Amino acid sequence: MNDTILVVGAGPCGLSAAHAAATAGKRVVLVEKEQVLGGAPILSGYARLVPSGEWAKDAIGRMVKRVEDDPAVTIRKGSKVTKLEGEAGDFTATLSNGEPVQAGAIILGTGFTHFDSINKPEWGFGTFEDVVTTTQVEQMIGAGKVYCPSDGRVPERVCILLCVGSRDRQIGREWCSKICCTVSTNLAMEIKELSPKTDVYIYYMDIRTFGLYEDKFYWRSQEEFRTKFVKARIAEVTRGADGRLLVKGEDTLVKRPIVIPFDLVVHAIGMDPNTDNPEIAKVFGIELEKHGFIARNEHYTGSFATNRPGVYAGGSALGPEDIDTSISHGLAMAMRAIGDLNALARKAA
Amino acid sequence: MPIHEKSLLTPDQIMTADKLVIDGVDVSGHWNTMIKPRTITDYDPDFYKKIEGLPGGENVSRCWQCGSCTNSCTMYAINPDFNPRYWIYCTNLGLQSEIVKDKDIIWQCVSCNKCTNICPKDVKPEGVMKALAHWLELEGHTPKSKSSVFDEEFTRQCLARGRIEDSEVMFNFFKKTDQDVVRLVKTGWLGVFIARMNKWTELRAGRWGKFLARMPITGPLKMAWAMVFKPRTKSWGRTGEVLAAYVEEQKRKAHAAH
Ligand SMILES: Cc1cc2nc3c(=O)[nH]c(=O)nc-3n(C[C@H](O)[C@H](O)[C@H](O)COP(=O)(O)OP(=O)(O)OC[C@H]3O[C@@H](n4cnc5c(N)ncnc54)[C@H](O)[C@@H]3O)c2cc1C
Ligand code: SF4
Ligand code: SF4
Ligand code: SF4
Repeated sequence: MNDTILVVGAGPCGLSAAHAAATAGKRVVLVEKEQVLGGAPILSGYARLVPSGEWAKDAIGRMVKRVEDDPAVTIRKGSKVTKLEGEAGDFTATLSNGEPVQAGAIILGTGFTHFDSINKPEWGFGTFEDVVTTTQVEQMIGAGKVYCPSDGRVPERVCILLCVGSRDRQIGREWCSKICCTVSTNLAMEIKELSPKTDVYIYYMDIRTFGLYEDKFYWRSQEEFRTKFVKARIAEVTRGADGRLLVKGEDTLVKRPIVIPFDLVVHAIGMDPNTDNPEIAKVFGIELEKHGFIARNEHYTGSFATNRPGVYAGGSALGPEDIDTSISHGLAMAMRAIGDLNALARKAA
Repeated sequence: MPIHEKSLLTPDQIMTADKLVIDGVDVSGHWNTMIKPRTITDYDPDFYKKIEGLPGGENVSRCWQCGSCTNSCTMYAINPDFNPRYWIYCTNLGLQSEIVKDKDIIWQCVSCNKCTNICPKDVKPEGVMKALAHWLELEGHTPKSKSSVFDEEFTRQCLARGRIEDSEVMFNFFKKTDQDVVRLVKTGWLGVFIARMNKWTELRAGRWGKFLARMPITGPLKMAWAMVFKPRTKSWGRTGEVLAAYVEEQKRKAHAAH
């Protein structure tokens, strides 16, 4: 019986799982494929987080430091698991540098991949410089200035297109990415704060600012920051003679076609399954669900289990998820893994 | 089979010249029918501020287009073109031309406030209807309403003299709104009005004494005197001017605040 817990992925979910297992007295090995810990909020440079309003580098930075300072946690950056042998209670994982790691349980917090807007060419990303993604705007806000990449001017008008790479059978993405509505309404407020003269329009099919995010983000953005909400799924983004972008579609509420000029168009990109998932499925011997996220087993009594005993998955590896929930998943998985290890130990005794 | 798209066209979008000859070919009437594009090509991002600045329009930008107001609306039940949700959307996006198109129906709101009671975002659509009607009037899209004429005459007398003279207010109101007082007397409307004020029931029951006892005698005499001599409130002085300036300033502030 091995008492070590191997955590793969050092995003909010993995960091939370690693810390939780360490505080419960286990030794932890944390494997992260990038050279930096923190997951998407750090790797993509998010600005202020929903819902706390804290800067990502501060909030997630604290999670990173807590794990780095913990002597019970061994960190392996720039590496992946390439092979897994054994069974629950007695696994041997091989890292990409050849190092073997013995562990009793494995927690996957391998997260998601941002949708690549190139796959929706009609919306102008990759064709026009002033078509950007929410992650780029997060970075602009972090740097304190929202601008049009083509010439650096401050946009008079910004258009945010929701559901880019989500809820779209055309490109095989039949899920809602859950957080982008809230993130977009939050970004609209942050843009207005940095540049009060800029008008922000959000083009939507539905607004899904779930739970307590309703009034805090959607209503506040509309009522206090005067974000305009237009019910239209945009057909095409082109460029007018004056160089400004033209957003074309049908405003379903006035039942008329629209061609509206904008300075900056922002894609609210969705959360795709981690592009590593096929590899992860093979290495860890686990199944993926139909969209390509990691498949979750029966959840009521076997929470966070994959189909392989002793391997658990949580956070945005299971499907689009927000940070707070991913953190809870991490804690819950540590609990689950330790509980199962204890049961194995009792059985062996 | 009805053509759905036809319902999306408004008469002003269809152009047909009665007489037209192109290159010697007579294409008069239907043959030259053209339809103007229906595309919306811009928003006026500040338009909502004008409506927000008028009484009743304060919450207009809260609307999320659920349609509860229109669904519950008394007027919509009678006229499906009466659509508060739609006008509120056009206000928020700054599609004035759409609002102006409906200038002859917006004022029909009966202020039943069913919409106010049902609106989940507390937009107060009834107030927005008032503000829109008010804006249409201010911009000259609709003629000045009778109630505006009445308010103006009332305010004018208040400011000039520190008091109003009921009969003069009514007289000038009738005059300015082209309601002929003489005709009103002749058709008996004014007579009935006065009789009702003075216990019509007593008269019908044959109690002449009681009826006559309530006949206004000194009141009308006083009124007539005041209409001729136009007395002012004691020591009114420049109060009217100061008040008028204050009212103007408050109006300006209310509009600038948004
Ligand atoms: C534009 C945008 C803004 C957002 N803003 C917010 C917000 O304000 N608030 C909020 O709650 N949520 C937000 N989210 C969602 C948030 O990013 C996710 O909820 C969160 O990142 C999920 O954490 P995670 O740990 O599950 O996954 P990730 O953050 O994706 O972390 C996964 C980690 O695993 C590593 N990894 C992946 N594969 C492997 C492998 N094979 N081997 C080793 N390591 C691997 C990755 O490098 C990464 O470090 C936003 C999302 C987007 C797209
Ligand atoms: S959260 Fe909103 S923007 Fe994101 S996929 Fe769902 S509906 Fe679309
Ligand atoms: S107040 Fe006016 S808009 Fe509201 S329900 Fe009544 S008629 Fe309709
Ligand atoms: S009921 Fe209120 S929120 Fe709904 S459409 Fe009408 S005004 Fe807008």
